[in-house]
Amino acid sequence: MSQTMRTEASPTTWVKIASAEALQGTRPVAAVTAFGQDLVLFRDEEGQLGLIGRYCPHRGADLCFGRHEDNGLRCPFHGWHFDRSGQCTEQPAEPEDSTMYKAIRLPSYTVIEQNGDILAWFGEGSAPAIENNDESNQSLPKGPNA
Amino acid sequence: MITQKLNDQITRIGPNTPAGAVHRHYWQPAALSDEVTNDEPLVPVNLLGERLVLMRGASGDLVLTARVASPDEAPTHHPAPEDIRVVDGAPIYPVVEKNGIMFAYLGGGEPPAFPNFDCFRAPESHVFAFKGLWECNWLQALEIGIDPGHASFLHRFLQDEDPSDSYGKQFRDMAADTNMPITQVLREYPRPDINVDETPFGLKITSLRHMTNGLTHVRVTNQIFPSAICIPMSREMIITQWHVPIDDENCYWFTMFTSFQNPVDKEIMRAQRLKEHSLPDYAPLKNRSNNYNYDPEEQKTKTYTGMGLDINVHDQWAVESMGAIQDRTREHLGRGDAAIVRYRLMLRKAIKAVETGKLERLPMQDRQETPQIIGPLSNDAIADSEDWLAASQRSDMQRRTACPWDATV
Repeated sequence: MSQTMRTEASPTTWVKIASAEALQGTRPVAAVTAFGQDLVLFRDEEGQLGLIGRYCPHRGADLCFGRHEDNGLRCPFHGWHFDRSGQCTEQPAEPEDSTMYKAIRLPSYTVIEQNGDILAWFGEGSAPAIENNDESNQSLPKGPNA
Repeated sequence: MITQKLNDQITRIGPNTPAGAVHRHYWQPAALSDEVTNDEPLVPVNLLGERLVLMRGASGDLVLTARVASPDEAPTHHPAPEDIRVVDGAPIYPVVEKNGIMFAYLGGGEPPAFPNFDCFRAPESHVFAFKGLWECNWLQALEIGIDPGHASFLHRFLQDEDPSDSYGKQFRDMAADTNMPITQVLREYPRPDINVDETPFGLKITSLRHMTNGLTHVRVTNQIFPSAICIPMSREMIITQWHVPIDDENCYWFTMFTSFQNPVDKEIMRAQRLKEHSLPDYAPLKNRSNNYNYDPEEQKTKTYTGMGLDINVHDQWAVESMGAIQDRTREHLGRGDAAIVRYRLMLRKAIKAVETGKLERLPMQDRQETPQIIGPLSNDAIADSEDWLAASQRSDMQRRTACPWDATV
């Protein structure tokens, strides 16, 4: 697995990572590789997009096969659950009093859908306003970190 | 999280590696007896990063020795007998057949004795052996076997099967003394308390699932040093399973299914497993190249993984999806990983013992004491929460007493 830090210069523009078609179907989850990172793209139950690290931070199982439920992705190995910001929200195999999940967060990137494309911001700092030619989608990007 | 240096040290097993040196102090499953089909066999064996052949030695006994190999051949390369060339002057490794498995000793000096585990002392009629390929490092394959929590998730069935249709399958029995299928116990009580105890053979792992009505489900499983586990499969059978390195990035599971009461129905057991594997390399038909037959609809309604009812496929997906060698510099172990943490300490102590020549500190190296090691207890029981320890032992004793072969402990 490689969730290695990227070594290339950070991009200064939004980058297309998938077409919106990749998330059509009953289970909107897709693998994405960008800037040397293995990521998983999904749409949660609120209709928002998430782009988070692909491998479970517990023992490294592949979240592309995750259960798409409870407004996020759940690892099939031990049920760890992640929301679109990459935050772990549950560790249902750990003892009831465990708060370990609060300290577990996968890398995540701001994502926006525009003109049938899904774009992600991998640059430094907060995402810039997007040049928007799609009249139906005039709002500023709302990513998981926004 | 551990350092890359430590991850390399505990995972890599080729000749002249620290963990490889530990493995070379133990008998290793090299081939199934099923693979030896005639009196003058030449069976390719890929083990611990070495390219070997199982054949008759000068004395007429089966031995392992090196075969000529090219560096670009596949990890599980399996040439036909007529294409096998033996390397002249290579070391000759001893081979011992035990209940369907050819064990080999790749170390120097005198091999250790075999412990008297149930899988070795049961008669041949009561043991069935099989193997299968997992395309990942042996340690992550072993670690899923000493991780009692994952069964509540990875192997969860959203509906329970009829246990009467369960012969030869894991987790399909009724939990002892109840009408609850084990699958239901695992699903409803997903946060086991895990106790880990060191034993002369490795680790005893006790998982307690405290249920309602003052009852506790007790599941006792074992780690057998260095690469095996011993776990219950049903009330009738236990599984002893080695995770044998082929090289750093591939391993075989070798399993001995041992039955207490009735002889094993080997034809059913073999047919169930041959249907899921291709020979001669025992590669599973469901694998990374076909996404393990992953079905999102099934994942929603029937199984936690969407990969069918065969729990072996779930395990295979989990360990292969981590990558060829799990990157443990990025892991976050929890309290549920207590046995994994303990095992790694044991392995590091063993590496140190080999490096400093203190071999007596390795488990099961004493030729007098090792044959006295019996059992181990591997059992599922449901008991009064006050009495779980005694109840777990009692339930194991019941089947041992009723057993037609000597299963006393």
